[in-house]
Amino acid sequence: MAEISEAQDSDSSKLLDSDSKAPQRPDSEPEFDPKLMRKSKPGLKRLFLTFSVLFSFLLGFPFLWKSVEIYRFPLPFREIDSLSTQLRSDTLLFPLHFHALFVGFDSDPDRLRRSILSEITKLTSQNPKCSDNYTLSVTVDLGSRCLRGPTSSPHSSSYQCGSVTAAAFVQNDDVAVDERLASVFGGKTKEYSVAVVKGGSERAVVGKYRHAWMVVGDGSDVGMAAVKVAEVLVKVFINGGREEGLIRNEFMPVGADGKIVLSFNLLNADPHDWVYDWDFEKIDDTLLTPMIEALGPVANISVESQVLYHTPKASFSYWNQKLESYVFSTKDLPFFVNSNEWHLDTSIAAGGRSKILQFAVYVPSAKECPLLLQLPNGEISKTNGFISPMWGGVIVWNPQGCLKDSEFKPSAKNIIPIQDLENMFEVFIGQFRQLFGFKSLNVYTNASGDWNLLPSERGLTEWELDVLSWQHTCFNLHSCATTLGSLSRLVQSLPRMIIKDEIGKQVKLSLEAAKLALSNASSGVYESSAASSSQARSLAEDAFFDPSIMSVSYYSFEHCFAVYSPFFLPVSMHVVLAALRELKRYKQEKAKYLAWKAKANTAT
Amino acid sequence: METFINPKSLFHLLLLPCLLLYSSIAYNSSPVEAAMHTNNWAVLVCTSRFWFNYRHMANTLSLYRTVKRLGIPDERIILMLADDMACNTRNKYPAQVFNNENHRLNLYGDNVEVDYRGYEVTVENFLRVLTGRHETAVPRSKRLLSDEGSHILLYMTGHGGDEFLKFQDSEELQSHDLADAVKQMKEKHRFKELLIMVDTCQAATLFNQLQSPGVLAIGSSMKGENSYSHHLDSDVGVSVVDRFTYYTLAFFERLNIYDNASLSSLFSSYNPSLLMSTAYYRKDLYKRRLEEVPVTNFFGSVMETIHTDAAYKALSRRNSGRFEDEMSLDQSVHHIERRMLIKVNDGYEIHDINPELLQGEEGASKCPWSTFRNKFQKAENVDSLVNYGLVAMIPLLVISTWLVQ
Repeated sequence: MAEISEAQDSDSSKLLDSDSKAPQRPDSEPEFDPKLMRKSKPGLKRLFLTFSVLFSFLLGFPFLWKSVEIYRFPLPFREIDSLSTQLRSDTLLFPLHFHALFVGFDSDPDRLRRSILSEITKLTSQNPKCSDNYTLSVTVDLGSRCLRGPTSSPHSSSYQCGSVTAAAFVQNDDVAVDERLASVFGGKTKEYSVAVVKGGSERAVVGKYRHAWMVVGDGSDVGMAAVKVAEVLVKVFINGGREEGLIRNEFMPVGADGKIVLSFNLLNADPHDWVYDWDFEKIDDTLLTPMIEALGPVANISVESQVLYHTPKASFSYWNQKLESYVFSTKDLPFFVNSNEWHLDTSIAAGGRSKILQFAVYVPSAKECPLLLQLPNGEISKTNGFISPMWGGVIVWNPQGCLKDSEFKPSAKNIIPIQDLENMFEVFIGQFRQLFGFKSLNVYTNASGDWNLLPSERGLTEWELDVLSWQHTCFNLHSCATTLGSLSRLVQSLPRMIIKDEIGKQVKLSLEAAKLALSNASSGVYESSAASSSQARSLAEDAFFDPSIMSVSYYSFEHCFAVYSPFFLPVSMHVVLAALRELKRYKQEKAKYLAWKAKANTAT
Repeated sequence: METFINPKSLFHLLLLPCLLLYSSIAYNSSPVEAAMHTNNWAVLVCTSRFWFNYRHMANTLSLYRTVKRLGIPDERIILMLADDMACNTRNKYPAQVFNNENHRLNLYGDNVEVDYRGYEVTVENFLRVLTGRHETAVPRSKRLLSDEGSHILLYMTGHGGDEFLKFQDSEELQSHDLADAVKQMKEKHRFKELLIMVDTCQAATLFNQLQSPGVLAIGSSMKGENSYSHHLDSDVGVSVVDRFTYYTLAFFERLNIYDNASLSSLFSSYNPSLLMSTAYYRKDLYKRRLEEVPVTNFFGSVMETIHTDAAYKALSRRNSGRFEDEMSLDQSVHHIERRMLIKVNDGYEIHDINPELLQGEEGASKCPWSTFRNKFQKAENVDSLVNYGLVAMIPLLVISTWLVQ
């Protein structure tokens, strides 16, 4: 193309040259200098041609620019930043309302309220990430009328005076009292109530809903009761009755996509001795389903089970004559799981980022049966089981047949008795709670005395679920914010990376869900805030782990320049230079013409 | 490209260093640093093809056998072998791989689960394994599903040079790529501690760009040094093991899972005169003292266990017989249905929001220019756009030639 245009250029210049020379000869004016002047107007043709080529190049340039541009969905960087700064600057506050009810006391509610509040502030340790924004109301029930403090609290108004009497606590059935209190306080309201009743034998119980009660002796002090009330509010209702340090709160055994797969395995160590099977479906329906439903807002849980054969354990055990059984100690526990023979991970039900929790029942072979776990203090474990954080739990179950004096002869195929299976699954539920950091003992002991904890059929009580929801929401929102923050930093550091629509949508939806979770959390709707926070986290993870985000697949801008410049630089140089030369020539010629014209004007 | 013209993104670029600073502060103060070590993973990579690189596959399989013996289960080992020596026609011992000329131990015996083999072993796949960015169809066994409590052993062997490691004779992993992947892993809390062990020539140079905390790196040779093979097996016809790996294995053969040997004893066991190169370890990113870290923290798996002290007794309170009666058949069916329904609903929720968003986008793009722009931005239309552009140039040329005539 360049050659052609050059050829045209030279042709046309020859043409023009001959044109300009032609009228020169007959002209005989003496002042006319052909090097400095010309008589005819310079032609625009050549200028126009070269410039049209240049302009067509310039016009094509945006198209080229667009064609090499990569598709980048505009991510809402500003919103991501604002989410993380919002989470970082002001801690997530969960509004809580406490209600303390004193029956049979005659004291000032405001004074009681102040003493309880001061005790609460003494006990609470501020979590830097998420904390609670609590309010407290105190009611003193005098039977016929109530003293309330503060008088205009919207929460305590739901309580009817005289509906709780000391007579109701005389009976010893805690479950009945619990149900009674649930109807009094209203099971639906998100209010943590503690009832202190004077008169009767001393007793302190935490129910399976959101309330606790204590019965104190006739002559007991109100101040002591206030201390105990503050303690149960903080240690049980806020902290969930757990101790720090055993399992860290960060260890949530929930997958990044908000799913957990519970994999139950029955391991027959040596099928030559005996083979056991279980009626898993029944136990799943009766025991696991209520718990899974209760945990619905926190995690989407699915269950699978399998029976395995030829699965010896990896650690040693020895014969203990006194106990007449084989014994393994806690030192051996880390080596108990035989990862090469126990093929627990079937990995069919679980997606890429789900969490699998393994629960294994180990049926020992004849030569190591009965098999007992000995604790460091020499005692024999009651549960015969242990957990490994983030992995799952193991129980050793000794079949009837291995007791020496037993008449039982194991047949080729046996079913684990339903009673044993239920006991086993109670231990599993205890282990599951342990993995989430909850204790399963039904007594909570602290400085000022014991609290009986009523267990729930659902595996987790209402207040435990609340604690789990806050913690889960808090963890998920922070995780979501850091994930999105990392994503936005990554995306901005790779300007030549394609960002698909899906990523943009996932980020937008994740931000929306996070906002929803934040607003729900601040208005006290714990379940839905937990659910939407886990959705926010899983969408953010999906966006971050999108397979198209790989730095090795993309090239820098310099690379793009290096690819295209050999195509366009040689041509564009010629075109631009030709245009410049033509412009210069035209200006010269025009100056010549103007000079001649000026001369001609003066001559005439 | 857009970032150069868009003032908003320019602002973001300026903001970036501040953000990075911010985040580093946030990470230092976050309690995740103090997370408990809960599990072990191993990524074992052999990057070379061809028969004469037999020893690299033998190296990797030896390490595989060792970590498995010390307790890392198969589902937590990602084994990448770039070629299949066991089935090579030049292998005199078909389906067997040896790492010693005494042929006592067949490394390819039973239960070898190769996750990525042959041409699947690429830089891209390797980085995908590390960063976790897989297609959804990739099964769990091919993924590194580690978490903030994981210790990961990353072992690589092949042919390397100054700041690179060759993959498959056709591409290379650069030290920047490795450092970038490790940084992304750290950012997503995909490991607590990472031990990178590399047996190549000039292995130490591969660690130059690493900057993430919690990473310990050990290489077989310094810059400018070669890593040599240990001995030639005249029956197989090629060298069967590299020196660095050979002495590593010699160290581990003496150990069992109960042993408490420390990492420093492993590192001090390398004798430069036997290796014919200098083993290099980089520990400036690693906080713990090597004398206190047992090798089983990386090369084995010792479970963290807690005794279960009590069962949750709620369920035994109720009469299970009564409950069985209550639990009629249709009720249990109902449960299953509900479970399925829950899943279906989840799917709907996401779809419910999608159309709103789309509507919002369309609502914003009522004016013709932005609809044009939207069409413009669709990547599929680029080719037709170029064609349109070329067609649009034709009238211009026609007009200009017509003017000239």
